[in-house]
Amino acid sequence: MVRRVLTLTSGRIALVILTVIALLAVLGPLLAPQNPLATSDNTLAAASGSHWLGTDYLGRDVFSRLLDGSRVSVLGSLEVALMALVVGAIPGILSVYLGRTFEWITLRLADTLVALPFLLFAVAVIALLGNGITQAMLVTGALVSPLFYRVSRAATLAVARSPYVEAALVSGASVGWVVRRHVWVKVLPPIAVALAQTIGVGFIIVSSLTFLGIGIQPPAPTWGGLLASDLGYLSYQPWAPLAPALLIMITVWASNLLADAIRDVSGEAGRAFVNNRKARANRLDGPEPVSTGGV
Amino acid sequence: MTTTAVQAPPARRRGVVVTRVRHTLGRLLVTLARSVAIFVPVFLVATFVTFALRSMSGLSPARIQLGEEATPEAIQRVEAQWGLDRPFLVQYWDWFTGVLHGQLGTSWTNGADISTLIGLGLGVSLSVATFALIIGIVLGFALGALAALRRTTWIDRAITGFVTVISVMPAFVVGIVLVAVFAVGLDLFPSAGYIPAEQGFGPWLAHITLPAIALSFDVVADVARQLRGSLVAAFRENYVTGAVVRGLSPRRIFYGHVLRNGIGPALATLGLKFPALVGASVVTEWIFGLQGFGRFANDSAQAGDVPAVQGVLVVSIVLVVLFNLIVNLVLARVTPASQRGV
Amino acid sequence: MTTLSEKAAPGTALKPALKTATPREPVAPAAPVLTVRDVRISDRVTDREIVHGVSFELTPGKTVGIVGESGSGKTLTCRATLGILPPHFEVSAGSIEIAGTDIADLTPQQWTALRGATISAVFQDPASYLNPSIRVGAQIAEVIRVKKGVKRREARHRAVELLQAVQLRDPELVYGQYTHELSGGMLQRVLIAAAIAADPRILIADEATTALDVTVQAEILDLLAELREHAGLALVIVSHDLAVVAQLCDEVLVMRDGEVVEQGTTREVLHHPRHEYTRLLIAEHESYGLDRFLTPQETS
Repeated sequence: MVRRVLTLTSGRIALVILTVIALLAVLGPLLAPQNPLATSDNTLAAASGSHWLGTDYLGRDVFSRLLDGSRVSVLGSLEVALMALVVGAIPGILSVYLGRTFEWITLRLADTLVALPFLLFAVAVIALLGNGITQAMLVTGALVSPLFYRVSRAATLAVARSPYVEAALVSGASVGWVVRRHVWVKVLPPIAVALAQTIGVGFIIVSSLTFLGIGIQPPAPTWGGLLASDLGYLSYQPWAPLAPALLIMITVWASNLLADAIRDVSGEAGRAFVNNRKARANRLDGPEPVSTGGV
Repeated sequence: MTTTAVQAPPARRRGVVVTRVRHTLGRLLVTLARSVAIFVPVFLVATFVTFALRSMSGLSPARIQLGEEATPEAIQRVEAQWGLDRPFLVQYWDWFTGVLHGQLGTSWTNGADISTLIGLGLGVSLSVATFALIIGIVLGFALGALAALRRTTWIDRAITGFVTVISVMPAFVVGIVLVAVFAVGLDLFPSAGYIPAEQGFGPWLAHITLPAIALSFDVVADVARQLRGSLVAAFRENYVTGAVVRGLSPRRIFYGHVLRNGIGPALATLGLKFPALVGASVVTEWIFGLQGFGRFANDSAQAGDVPAVQGVLVVSIVLVVLFNLIVNLVLARVTPASQRGV
Repeated sequence: MTTLSEKAAPGTALKPALKTATPREPVAPAAPVLTVRDVRISDRVTDREIVHGVSFELTPGKTVGIVGESGSGKTLTCRATLGILPPHFEVSAGSIEIAGTDIADLTPQQWTALRGATISAVFQDPASYLNPSIRVGAQIAEVIRVKKGVKRREARHRAVELLQAVQLRDPELVYGQYTHELSGGMLQRVLIAAAIAADPRILIADEATTALDVTVQAEILDLLAELREHAGLALVIVSHDLAVVAQLCDEVLVMRDGEVVEQGTTREVLHHPRHEYTRLLIAEHESYGLDRFLTPQETS
């Protein structure tokens, strides 16, 4: 799938941006030209050779703080996405197979979680359960998990009820084989799309929380925190919020772009591609999915 | 044969009309019942989780009132005073019946009635949220419909590009930019604060405009995207060809047929968007210095005022549920076809 | 779901009079309402000609049939006459005249005025050609209201009459139903009612009976024949099924790969097929009792 995403320009752009951001998260603190916590008398300075993005109200180097802060954002959004994946996708797939009771309960739970304003809950949980952004991210992950529940359930349902899976089972294929051969191919792309989207949502949530100063100890730099401190000095540095804001927006945009690219390659054209290859590889595969188009 | 013979006898005809009215009413009731059936468990689960938060948090009013160096006896006394020494389920039941009666308890920090406190902030938040929704719906529908009507032209591409850009702008980023440009830079709007509508419509509108715009971006983007998608899909439907062949004008086809069927997903999006709107109010109210619901939530959470946080969450759930109920009723009215087989 | 049968009981042989029938009586050597002259249709993108010249004339009360397998260009020809060719298809040569007007220079407004009032069509899969969110009766009434400029009440009244005219039992009830509450045969009747609501002179039936049961199919064909008699409609029947065409048509065009391989009166084509492909079609149908139509019938 990665290879097919790379055939799209949008997919390439998205992956390049996300890779750069990920590298920043890993190497950011090393790349930072100055100590992000070191204050100086040179407060609210404009961008210059020594301070590429100027300094903040305590004279700290904004560029270094930005680089250093990327780790919190990246880790946070990954936590949200992975938590949502685990909590959402597994019950989603199982809900098709584990009987009515399980289905009913998980559906109601998904309805419930969707109805909760997750930012409000994240704020509440993090404040009550205390310190550390990780708990909040895990809670947020659980709150956005209905997305995964829905897409994985829908995809599994579609596959489970499709004639070719029935045909495969009737002709004696094992359940495990059917899952590997048919279910996986259909369920994976929508989950990948949801994952990319959730990473984008995760970035927004982490930034929002750190903007409010929740879940992070004050001197530590974060993207949201940078914006928050800029807010107080808008009349001196009206351009200051630009850098962190752009960084957040570009990251979110790249995540959405990636989601679209995956959707595109796994859409109609992509599926035809997969089917052809499968058909060539395995002629005795049972009936090909019949197009229902008719005319 | 005369044409009058075609008409059914009056009695029958009345029967048909009655059945149809009953039909419509029945569908409305079914929608209502289904929504309630979905939301009762939602409410139960959500309130339970909300309440369980306190036990998990290990917070207690004693800490807030007595400070860190309180003796265990003093803590016990205060907790008994608040009824926190009773079994968990008893406390939950007590609290839950209170919630059903609109009583959200008293704040740990200042002993004030939480329902009253939330009520004070709700006016601010609802003003902003409603205005944001109006902007979102009007602009979102206009952009989505225009893009769909001019699909594959440069107008469509421009709108799609614009929507993509605003969809990745979180409310607090938009808020800061708006403050920087319109409040600090151009001095067109007040940068913070709130004035109730009773003290003048103009100032009220001026104070909620920027926060509402900040909140609305997300709604505009989602509604426009969804509407464009479903309208383009609806344009490809055979019933559009059918209407064309029957000689209806493009205008009539768009408003009477395409929009009618394409509007459903956009409305449903609105229902899904509302929780996000409530959530984002936490951030925007902080930026714009509004003493609203979101600000109250943030302050209570930071202060460890558990009953207040619980109250906030309950109210937010009720708001979301109510809003979804309205959306569902409108949906049922607009697209009866979506009701089948659900 | 309703339990009513979709057709009036066989006993009610009296056919409800169509209001539309009165003004127009087929004049003996009537002027053609539809003239198709050597129409060629091309795909603008690939620059390939898909339909290589179709010609026929249609006078009121007559029926032309177009037979061919899917992809033979029969549907494209129909769509060209309705002015609804899919994107990047165009009439590259030849001309089409509807009631004396060449459609090549019609403005969109003129097209809107022409469709429904002069030329109309019904299709396969009737459910999809009706709006699922609007009561079927209201959709018929809408056509009457817009095209005839009558009041809401009157339009409703006429719509119910039309539903009666297409032999739906209990038209009042059907009026208030949605597409998903009606069966395929009933929907095709509704679609026909909507198509003839503004009294068109030409009705194109593109595979209108294909998806229906054989008995329902026969009923719909009867209905079309009756409309032709009473309303003086000129019909274009498009089908892949030779039997359908044989039952109704005066003239037949056999199409294959965009080419008209055989054209003539129904009797001639069926009795003395000249082209290989026509013979094949007839041979295929012999086992389905097509020979019934080979003997001269009252249709001609």
